[in-house]
Amino acid sequence: MGDLSGYKGGALRLLRDAGASIGDVIEIRTDFGTVTGTLVPRYLYGDGEHVVLKLKSGYNVGLGLSGLAKAKVLSKGEKPSFSPPASPRAAKGLPRVLILGTGGTIASRVDYRTGAVSPAVTAAELDSLVPELSEIAKVQPELLFEVFSENMTPQHWTRLAKRAAKAVGEKFDGVVITHGTDTLGYSAAALSFALAGIPIPVILVGSQRSSDRPSSDAPLNLVAAVTVAAEGSFSGVYVAMHLGESDDKVAFHGGTRVRKNHTSRRDAFSSIGVPLAAVFGRSGLEHVAEGLPARGGSFKPRPKFDGRVALLKFYPSMPGGLVRAARRSGVKAIVIEGTGLGHVSREVSSELGRFVKAGGLAFMTSQCINGRVDLSVYDTGRDLLHVGVQPLEDMLSETALVKAMWVLGTGASGSKARELMASNVAGEITARTFPG
Amino acid sequence: MRDKEGLLVGLEIHQQLAIPTKLFCACPPVKTDEFPYHFERRLRPSQSETGRLDPAAVFEYAKGRSNRYYWSPESACLVEADEEPPHPMSGAGLEAALLVGTVLGSQLVDEVHVMRKIVIDGSNTGGFQRTAVVGLGGSFEVNGGRVGVQSVTLEEDAARILGEDSESRHFALDRLGVALVEVSLDPVRGAPEHVGEVALHLGRLLRSTGRVARGLGTIRQDLNVSLAGGKVVEVKGVQKLNLLPRVVEYERKRQSMLIGVAEKLREKGIRKVSCRHRDVTSLLGASSSGVVRRAVSEGGVVHCIAADGLAGLLGWEPEPGVRLGKELAEVARANSLGGVIHSDEFERQGLTGAEAAALAGAMGADHECALILVAGRSEAVSRVVPLVEARAAEAPSGVPPETRAATDSGETRYMRPRPGSQRMYPETDIQDIEVGDEVRRRLEREAPLPWTESVERLQRAFTLSRDLALKVYDSETTGEFEALAARLGLEPSFIASVLVDLPARLEREGVPESAVGLGPLTASLEAVAAGKVAKEALPEVLKASAEKGVTVDQAIRSLGLGVVTEEYVSRVVREVVGRQTKLVAERGEDAFSPLMGEAMKELRGKADGSMVARLLRRELGLARSGEGSTGQNGG
Ligand SMILES: [Zn+2]
Repeated sequence: MGDLSGYKGGALRLLRDAGASIGDVIEIRTDFGTVTGTLVPRYLYGDGEHVVLKLKSGYNVGLGLSGLAKAKVLSKGEKPSFSPPASPRAAKGLPRVLILGTGGTIASRVDYRTGAVSPAVTAAELDSLVPELSEIAKVQPELLFEVFSENMTPQHWTRLAKRAAKAVGEKFDGVVITHGTDTLGYSAAALSFALAGIPIPVILVGSQRSSDRPSSDAPLNLVAAVTVAAEGSFSGVYVAMHLGESDDKVAFHGGTRVRKNHTSRRDAFSSIGVPLAAVFGRSGLEHVAEGLPARGGSFKPRPKFDGRVALLKFYPSMPGGLVRAARRSGVKAIVIEGTGLGHVSREVSSELGRFVKAGGLAFMTSQCINGRVDLSVYDTGRDLLHVGVQPLEDMLSETALVKAMWVLGTGASGSKARELMASNVAGEITARTFPG
Repeated sequence: MRDKEGLLVGLEIHQQLAIPTKLFCACPPVKTDEFPYHFERRLRPSQSETGRLDPAAVFEYAKGRSNRYYWSPESACLVEADEEPPHPMSGAGLEAALLVGTVLGSQLVDEVHVMRKIVIDGSNTGGFQRTAVVGLGGSFEVNGGRVGVQSVTLEEDAARILGEDSESRHFALDRLGVALVEVSLDPVRGAPEHVGEVALHLGRLLRSTGRVARGLGTIRQDLNVSLAGGKVVEVKGVQKLNLLPRVVEYERKRQSMLIGVAEKLREKGIRKVSCRHRDVTSLLGASSSGVVRRAVSEGGVVHCIAADGLAGLLGWEPEPGVRLGKELAEVARANSLGGVIHSDEFERQGLTGAEAAALAGAMGADHECALILVAGRSEAVSRVVPLVEARAAEAPSGVPPETRAATDSGETRYMRPRPGSQRMYPETDIQDIEVGDEVRRRLEREAPLPWTESVERLQRAFTLSRDLALKVYDSETTGEFEALAARLGLEPSFIASVLVDLPARLEREGVPESAVGLGPLTASLEAVAAGKVAKEALPEVLKASAEKGVTVDQAIRSLGLGVVTEEYVSRVVREVVGRQTKLVAERGEDAFSPLMGEAMKELRGKADGSMVARLLRRELGLARSGEGSTGQNGG
């Protein structure tokens, strides 16, 4: 039986009886007359009452089953074979860049016959879609795994960190990681800790507009990321995304201080409380912040994470039971996102105290996003300090969560873990807060 | 004979729908003049599954220009900026399109699937237009013949182009996303005028639904024109209906010329036009041709293309205004160069015989070989030369499949190669929409009377001439007209002519049509009905009201046109008769006409003609005739 993906119910029976598969040209007779077109897949949640045909004009139409008398296959479809346009030959002596795929499609092409979008996997495919790359570096794409960014776990971070660390030994000049944008910030923080001190740049890159559309932000972000991976003077973990709405500049954000602040805009990512690490423009790297670590040096990856950490957001009337529930679910550390300078209600405060007493770690960040927590100003804060909740300065909540997982992953516990949380490992804590 | 040429014209009408929002967001479909924000993008041709790139897409990308978008929160949001996914499709828009399909007798689809149609000229920020078929098939009748409908689609309009320069194209986002219904017709055979009639008929049919927008710029026609033995040429953007026949006629001439060129080449046994080119800047640096000299003095270059076999054919003009040379120049112009100079016009362009000879020598050209000069900035010239060569090489195959734009003068000019087919894939951000039986039944109930019947009804109910009834129908003031006729007790044909004829007449006298809206027209009719001013004075009153920006009543007063009393009119009439007692004695009843003329000289604009006639009759002892009749039926 041929492929009939998405079809079910009466529609599936009708098509199966006619011997049709996706891509075939079929004729469907309805009450009104005859419609001829290419059978295209039905989307996952479509009903079983309609058949979708792509007309010769390119349009898809859904035809209701109630009016269908018959379906007939006119000609079998042929799977189009892919022959990429010749890509420009890479010049000798170019830097080498490893491009790790995680499931986000940074480059793809469309099967206009069925509407399917397929990602570019090989170097040739990537080169043919973004030909500029071959002038910048000799790229080696590698699909590490395929998950939606929201399904990413600490195990995925570990695999990414190990592969990137291995690239140092393989003499790659830099690593680019293509990643869905939803949890891009978390992964960037995770790699920042796991790869602290890495002698080459590791750039995470995503896109807010899917790569199948001509207006995608993916190609420019990718070109910028590969450029910095290949020839940037600095090392460390960064996120490369559009600086504004225009296709002219790409911002590089430090991996522990970056946050997705908009659901859909190209410039959704911002650096919080720190200046941009670098800006890539029409003429290449236009700006590099002072004090970024230079390339080189030796390092030892620490790629393990312990996922038993909870991130709770305090809100008015939050029941203390939520903290108890976290403890009962086996959580060893809680990052609580308090209001303002880092406050929670008396009820939540005393529950946190009980959690700490029982051997848990409790950390305070602020839901203000910008600024620094301070538990010494008000009584509430002093109470929290007293029961053992540790303030995390200006660390972002998401970064704090990831860092706690990493700290536990190093095997540290108790005061040793608290010490590590308080020390600046990868730029996650700044000593001074600046305007803007 | 045109018929022998096999002229076929496929018409696509794009009509804006009258709904309060755009198709995929809540922005109002309004025009904006000031744009506080802008951003810049580049569109990349997307690759198909087979690795092929669309020729039209590559053409646009190769031009290397970016697109600059200007927008205002008044008329656009993040959806138009391609910074937010589209919102669900406007239900009102979908219903309007389905109603159009119903009226045309189309088979409505059971499930509407929104597609992305790749458009890479920058007019869509996403690089595609969202469009969906809502109906297939259908037909309507024009002058006794049936015209078939291919499809009815619902789509979003493109961004409005503001201008372009060598670096970017500039677009406004106010029009982007406005809901349009597109009706594609089966190709129509016959004279260009017939195409105009079909479009006019379809336009009325669309307006009969009451769901489409009015006014200039709300309707746009695209054409697919072909001749027997040629290829289909797509002509975009005919905005005025009366230009349609001219555009079709121009395309017929142009394509006929191209087929003629191909025939001439075949007669000469030339199957392939091969081209070569070289830089001839040093040869022509001090040229006597102004165009060339200017390009060189501005630091540009001149390249010469030698095209074998085309000598004499570039300037060949079988019908006025169509030449192959012009086609080559359009390719250059579409790529921001001024045009080309070819050997059939060297003399006219100021090149000397010596220069021509030097060029021929340098290019190794024989007498069958045409020379084409491309001058301008070096970067642009190297981009354009291969395109001009490619166009010249197409000469043996006659009409190339192109997309062209209609000009305001009714000609067409080259835009880009025709897009490859099937550059469409599903818009995954919008769910498929089921069209239920309930909706179909309701639309069938709501389907309006055919417009022809509406016009006939106007004729019958108000004793209007067909011409006037059509004008009322077309001006879309039927409702207002009927209300005024019922309310004011004035002659319906008078009301109709004030509503539909007067604005056009005033425009000819220099009063912009927009300044004479329904408001002033209604007010002036009310003034007539109330006896405040005479019918005859309306043009003057409306003109004054528009020019001075005052109300109709103020205009009446400022012109001193307030209607005089019947007593005053009687006095004037009596004076006129008193002055002409001799005439009255000699001619009796026949004196009415000259006396009426004399009285009106004094009373025009102040008193209604019928009142003057009535009082004059009374004065002459002919008072038995009825009011309003100026006929000489005294008896
Ligand atoms: Zn909008």
